Amino acid sequence: MTFTLLARCPRTGQVGIGIATYSITVGLYCNGLRGNVGATMTQAFVNQGNNPLGLRLLAKGFLPAHVMSELQANDPYFEYRQIAVIDRNGRLAAYSGPKNRGWSGHVTGDGYVAMGNVLAGPAVVEAMAKAYDAAAALSFERRLLAAIEAGRDAGGQVGNDGHLPERSAAVMVYGDYDHAELDLRVDLHDTAIEELRRAFEEYELYRGYYRERGKNPRAAIPQSEFVAQLQRQQEAAQ
Amino acid sequence: MTFSLIGRCARTGRLGLGITTFSLAVGGRCEGVAANVGVCKTQAFPNRTNDPLGIKLMAEGYVPAKVMAMFAANDSEHDYRQIAIMDREGRIAAHTGGGCRGWAGHKEGADCVAFGNGLVGPQVLDGMIQGFMTRPEDALEYRLMRAIEGGRDAGGQGTADEHRPERSAAIKVVDRLDYPEVDVRVDVHPTAVAELRRVLEEFKLYEAFYRGRGKDPSKAIPQDEFAKQLEAKRRRA
Repeated sequence: MTFTLLARCPRTGQVGIGIATYSITVGLYCNGLRGNVGATMTQAFVNQGNNPLGLRLLAKGFLPAHVMSELQANDPYFEYRQIAVIDRNGRLAAYSGPKNRGWSGHVTGDGYVAMGNVLAGPAVVEAMAKAYDAAAALSFERRLLAAIEAGRDAGGQVGNDGHLPERSAAVMVYGDYDHAELDLRVDLHDTAIEELRRAFEEYELYRGYYRERGKNPRAAIPQSEFVAQLQRQQEAAQ
Repeated sequence: MTFSLIGRCARTGRLGLGITTFSLAVGGRCEGVAANVGVCKTQAFPNRTNDPLGIKLMAEGYVPAKVMAMFAANDSEHDYRQIAIMDREGRIAAHTGGGCRGWAGHKEGADCVAFGNGLVGPQVLDGMIQGFMTRPEDALEYRLMRAIEGGRDAGGQGTADEHRPERSAAIKVVDRLDYPEVDVRVDVHPTAVAELRRVLEEFKLYEAFYRGRGKDPSKAIPQDEFAKQLEAKRRRA
């Protein structure tokens, strides 16, 4: 039970993930992104060895379709996994194992895979893809957020006793560096996607400040002063 | 303004980082925790490329003191960084640049190094090390949790006149595998350390279930059923 959009941004070449699930601390499992290499995610019944292995295979130069066949040959429980692999050119492979529970499936588009399991139905992944496409004018991270919000609004996850809430969520983007450009998580919350949106909008206000003070510490104002400036701006806007 | 502790479990060799700060989403800037290699964390005015570089250098075989010397040579603003490094053998190097703001410093303890800036004073580091040492037999994630709670309870961030809340916090623990064993986060919260304790306790209830269902899915019960069993146990308790 999870719904995810994994993508390479055709405009910037960044790779990213938007993900939400009933499971807690899902961000822990999103270790399959690397700038200039690609992105991979295994969900449903997770094989935690897959993401690091998949990234290494992509870095060696294997195509996503071949990476997928290697993951298959390497895993006796492959049929329980749901997997997406995207390389730095936007080529991709996706797999929803027949032993995933509930409704499980994926759709693919220009450099992205929308996938999920234990979902209300195909409308969830279709809505994610549609929202991601429709948000093409926005920043990559906002497109990823729009996708998971659309998945939620299309019914999200449905278990044996009905709708399952999103209890954790994450949005991550990797660009040219070894470190993430954005890595934001909600690990345990009753409405994790709303909370992730709130955290994102708050973090967006600080992002440029955090980046600059590391690069140019001499010119950095104290954060308390930055916060006071933000508050004044917000008051002035009201 | 941040206080952190890098620790190693002498019994298992597991390595980890506990961190909390006034800044948002600090856990998203903790890439320097690598199984079988070591931990490297740059804070205060962070140079984001330090931590991945430090991990690569330790993986090559350089010791923390040498890694630190290479950081100094590689960074014109090294004086504004606060950095701690521990390798898989528990060797430590730490640096608190003169350009760090507020009270800033670092202190080594048994199998750990505490470091922070923008703090109310050195008692915060002592509180962290005491927290880490409270029950050395416990799993490393609990020891790291107690370390940051100890730092908070000793006054945390701010000055004598003004306290600054912890708005984000994280704990990361690696063992032998490529992925972290524990990686819990609170990114935007008015009392992030207390919230992180809540997340960690909940995560520990699910940890074995999550690991087990991935390793042998054919025997796994659905998670909503597992959650119901947990609720029933909580009610009985």
